[in-house]
Amino acid sequence: MPTLLHYRSWQGEFHSPWWSVWPIARVALGTLLRRKLFWTLYAFGLLLFFMFFFGTFLLAWAESLVSGTQPQLARFGDLGRVLTTNIRRALVILEGSRDTFQYFFAYQGGIVIVTLSLVGAILVGNDFTHKSLGFYLAKPINRWHYILGKCLAVFIVVQMMTTLPALVLYGQHAFDDWDYLLNVDHFTANDGKGPAGIALLLAVVGYGTLLSVVLSILLVAAASWMRRTMPLIMVWISAFFYLRLLANILVDGLKYDVRWRLLDLWNSLTLLGQGCLGYAAEEISPKPHPEFWEAGLMLIGVCTVCLIYLNHRTRGVEIVR
Amino acid sequence: MPDLLESPDAGRRDRTLAITADRIALEERQASAKPEAAESTPVLLFQHVSKWYGPVIGINQVTLELRPGITGLVGHNGSGKSTLLRLAAGQFRPDLGAVTIAGHDAWTADAKRHLGYCPELDTFYEEMSGRAFVRTMAQLVGYARVEARRRTEETLELVGMRDRADRVLAGYSKGMRQRIKLAQALLHDPPLLLLDEPLSGIDPIGRRESIALFRELARRGKCLLISSHELEELEKLTDHVAIMAAGRIAAVGTLTQIRDLLDDHPLSIRIASDQNRQLAGLLLDLDEVVGVERDDHYLLVRAKNPRRFFQRLGDLVLDRMIEIRHLETLDESTHDVLGYLLGGKAR
Repeated sequence: MPTLLHYRSWQGEFHSPWWSVWPIARVALGTLLRRKLFWTLYAFGLLLFFMFFFGTFLLAWAESLVSGTQPQLARFGDLGRVLTTNIRRALVILEGSRDTFQYFFAYQGGIVIVTLSLVGAILVGNDFTHKSLGFYLAKPINRWHYILGKCLAVFIVVQMMTTLPALVLYGQHAFDDWDYLLNVDHFTANDGKGPAGIALLLAVVGYGTLLSVVLSILLVAAASWMRRTMPLIMVWISAFFYLRLLANILVDGLKYDVRWRLLDLWNSLTLLGQGCLGYAAEEISPKPHPEFWEAGLMLIGVCTVCLIYLNHRTRGVEIVR
Repeated sequence: MPDLLESPDAGRRDRTLAITADRIALEERQASAKPEAAESTPVLLFQHVSKWYGPVIGINQVTLELRPGITGLVGHNGSGKSTLLRLAAGQFRPDLGAVTIAGHDAWTADAKRHLGYCPELDTFYEEMSGRAFVRTMAQLVGYARVEARRRTEETLELVGMRDRADRVLAGYSKGMRQRIKLAQALLHDPPLLLLDEPLSGIDPIGRRESIALFRELARRGKCLLISSHELEELEKLTDHVAIMAAGRIAAVGTLTQIRDLLDDHPLSIRIASDQNRQLAGLLLDLDEVVGVERDDHYLLVRAKNPRRFFQRLGDLVLDRMIEIRHLETLDESTHDVLGYLLGGKAR
């Protein structure tokens, strides 16, 4: 080994420990972004995005095609009319209103859930499996910096898959018609389409942020509990599929109190998300559903439990195998 | 063995003073140093520390004070070595008592600025390069990007990994991983280094280099607590050990001092002289000598209180003009001391 180097004494100020949040997130993201699995899932997500992005042009072209061939389609009875109606209905959904983003978040959210269940072990679980946490916690940071760093990594992944493409969609419509960006009442003429402009932009960011924050806390907690991929998938499926199924059976089938639907975390998330987009309670499906505040309280409760668990888990990481 | 449970000792203090003197000289060269604080506050202090894992006790009422120098931490598997290191590293809090590093609670960020921890585990982010890993750790310490990069390069150079640091960790040998771990522990030039099995898996040349580095760090006033099963290698590093058994510090001190206290196990000494027969008779008259065996060439002497025995042996051979041709203690190694102290085999 070479002669010991002389350290130049450090004259500067150390950064606050909060600065360490980003390197922790970056390391987790770096590990994830090297995986083909992630890019495959991301590509699936992009397919959906492209459907929304190019869907307007595609449907407009299809509509013109159907209109131009009405005489030929007439021999198939109502087919031409049905086609035109459906295409126009789809076009309405894709015109950049709150419906567009509600559908986009709903579909994209499904892919996000699947993606997170598959990459959770890479983002978080491996730290516990390989006990890498010891390296982090021996540095001048505390476990909350670590937890925040991991949550930030998941937050970014969710944002990459939801808010970012949603903002591109928004930009597409804004470039198409500047009134969409500048005028909140852009859709007023068409009843029930909600706001446009900055209000819609904020709503989209709010919906995406809500998804990102809640899912990041849930995933970090779940992945630190079930560190391997398969058990994590099972926990994730239980939380977002079986509980949803159970809630539907209880509320829709057995006609239990509507609050049982709060078991369905995804429903609570989309309920609040749609609240962000400006939907009134009676416009939201499935019906009946709990109040917004009840869904919010449920999510806050679940997140608090997750954070308490994480606090305990990172304290005992070297003990529990 | 109640005496063995008392950790401070005079020899250690002497050695500590010598090292502290070196350190003061070093610190005088560094404008930012605070010699008074370094003198008065132990680098690592355990005060009646206990830690339970549910119903199982990890360490029990441990009191330990470390100042600059190298201390080996030895003991059987499950004796509490790793728990002690992790408590010192602020990985978890003690259930009872307090652990402080340079006067700061070991759990706090202030304490961790004084600490470099090299854990035993070596499976981490396999896709990262060694350089990226060390640089990330530098950023976690709180250095700005430029300073983090500079320190990364310096420490990689120091551990002999600068040329190989761009390879991903998955391709590293055990020895290379040890060096990278050591690099991340040395990044911020901490006064306290906790090294868990740092010599494990390193080839003989690397091992020699590591030992030289540890000695140099100790010479510069660092406090190194090294847990190792490689007792022979540990002996090359230091004769000052803390021996753990069943969650307690069974003994702290130099091996000789600990050995002296083991009255139940007389020291075995092999002696060859020009008058073996006469010497054997004289030795049997000494109170400290438990027994003497003689073969064609050597005397095998078993003696209590080795320090006094050697004094009297010296007087004896000078008085009687006996020429000592060979003198060898047979069971004074860490391995032997551990064996006697803990029962059974040390390893």
